[in-house]
Amino acid sequence: MGHTRSHFWFVSPAVILMFVILILPVFVAGTFSFTDYNLGSTDFKWIGWKNYESLGKFSSYSKMFTASLTYVVIVVPVSVLLGLGSAMLISSLRFGGEFYKAIFFLPVMATLLAMAYAWEFALDPVMGVINKVLDDGCSVGWFYKFFTGSWLGFNPTESWYGGLCSDRMPNWLGNKKYALGSISFIGIWQAFGFNMVLYLAGLTSIPQDLYAAAEIDGANSTWEKFKLVTWPMLGPTHVFVVTITSIRSFQVFDTVEALTRGGPSKSTYVMVYAMFEKGVKQNLIGMGSTLTIVFLGFVLLLTLTQVYFINRKVHYS
Amino acid sequence: MKQRTKWGSEAGKHIVLIVGTLVVILPFYLMISFSFKSPSEIQSISGGFFGAQEMMTDHRCLKAGRSEVECTMLPIVYNYRAAFEEAPLLRYLLNGVIVTLSIFAIQVLIALPCAYALAKLKFWGRDVVFGLVIFCLLIPVHAIALPLYLMLAKFGLTNTFAALVIPWTISVFGIFLMRQFFKTVPDDLINAARMDGMSEFSIVWKVMLPTAIPALLAFAIFSVVAHWNDYYWPRVVITGDRDLMTPPLGLRMFKSDMDGNEYGPMMAAATVVVAPLVVAFLLAQRRFIEGITLSGMK
Repeated sequence: MGHTRSHFWFVSPAVILMFVILILPVFVAGTFSFTDYNLGSTDFKWIGWKNYESLGKFSSYSKMFTASLTYVVIVVPVSVLLGLGSAMLISSLRFGGEFYKAIFFLPVMATLLAMAYAWEFALDPVMGVINKVLDDGCSVGWFYKFFTGSWLGFNPTESWYGGLCSDRMPNWLGNKKYALGSISFIGIWQAFGFNMVLYLAGLTSIPQDLYAAAEIDGANSTWEKFKLVTWPMLGPTHVFVVTITSIRSFQVFDTVEALTRGGPSKSTYVMVYAMFEKGVKQNLIGMGSTLTIVFLGFVLLLTLTQVYFINRKVHYS
Repeated sequence: MKQRTKWGSEAGKHIVLIVGTLVVILPFYLMISFSFKSPSEIQSISGGFFGAQEMMTDHRCLKAGRSEVECTMLPIVYNYRAAFEEAPLLRYLLNGVIVTLSIFAIQVLIALPCAYALAKLKFWGRDVVFGLVIFCLLIPVHAIALPLYLMLAKFGLTNTFAALVIPWTISVFGIFLMRQFFKTVPDDLINAARMDGMSEFSIVWKVMLPTAIPALLAFAIFSVVAHWNDYYWPRVVITGDRDLMTPPLGLRMFKSDMDGNEYGPMMAAATVVVAPLVVAFLLAQRRFIEGITLSGMK
């Protein structure tokens, strides 16, 4: 066989690059995480687990974990459920489905940094359109009733929106009460269209006769069919969508760097931003490497959880 | 009766989806609208979508010593002119094209032969190499940005085009994807090529590559969209040198340079950066959705 040698030339460039670009850096980060190295100085000391210990010692790192986890805990469920909800609505439409699908997918395509600036203008406390609508809404009867909950019998002045009306509208990105929520909102806005498309693909792969079978078994309402057929048949899609959304949410950076720089008072100090700030901006390679390793640990954990669920045979087909 | 409730629920679904559409569209609407309006219209949230388009005077233009007539223009002209003149926006766009295309070309150059070998050649260590590919799928490049930056800095490569491209030259996802695709190509095709005396090298580029065009197109969209939009990695390795900045990084530079109320030009620049992919997407929706959700189909 004349071709037995060519494989070497085909495979080795890829293998070398995998080692140099993907695997070596993990070891580099692992090594430097035990040092106090910074890019300015010529030598460094081995300091053992000190960098890892400082993760537990300083409040900025506990704020970092809180910010990252809160972001993930908000963005993942909401964007997954919105993705599923919009996919189900769209797939049950008689017309116009393609239109909504294209619109909801736009944020996935668009340069996030540019869109972050557009959101910044929308959320601006003074000239932002969101606060203008909320402000004007205070004097529109039905809008005020709806958002204060007075139509449900609540006292409007005690509600959140009622309070804003009598005081002033929030500074969405500048107030630590709202900043992480606003960043999460942009994250959801960006992510749910991707999940929607995956769910649309999942929905079309459900055999229609299962619904007929469920009807024979007495599942008549839409909710019962959903519980009995749709939800479990989407098993593999759920696992994939949840994992990829979690991994991506862990990597949130663009919106934070552009809009809040981790503030106010570290309320949006997410992990990748912390890694960037420590390692690249302040040149504290040791601490940055430690954050890198911890971050990789999180990502690995998420992926292994996915593998575990896939092996538990979430597919029924 | 039943017919009526059916149309009723159809209408209900449309109402929900239209509300969603309004929220999703909002930043796009603002971005484009701001790029049309004059500073005062932006400040006062007036003027509708297009603004009144009343002639305005560009003060910086006057300061540059040009005549009053030359410096009086429509707000839309002012905004887009400022976007291209105040910042090297064309340069940024060109850099974006150069970087995304080189990344894609090198990715294919490296991944295609490897994928072919893994799918169709039998050799010692093949399973180990494939295992390595699967293992590397677990490592997100953004997560190891810091050590990569460090290594590039050691070789003096920060602030170069190479730094923007090198980390992405190996796409393990591309290898995996193309291998799965090549598995479906019948062996007879390859054997026939060998009978014709073709070398393994020309089999990869003259037989396998043409069969893989649809899969490659999807991968191209996946790769180009990711790297055109990428902000994190360019932000790490490019500091200060505007001639190397990619569109998102340039946009950020523009924002930090602008004084007070240059929102119009800023949003004009943002529109120009976002437009190519969005327009391409609207023209070839199916292909784009397929390409970007590729990672969802493994």
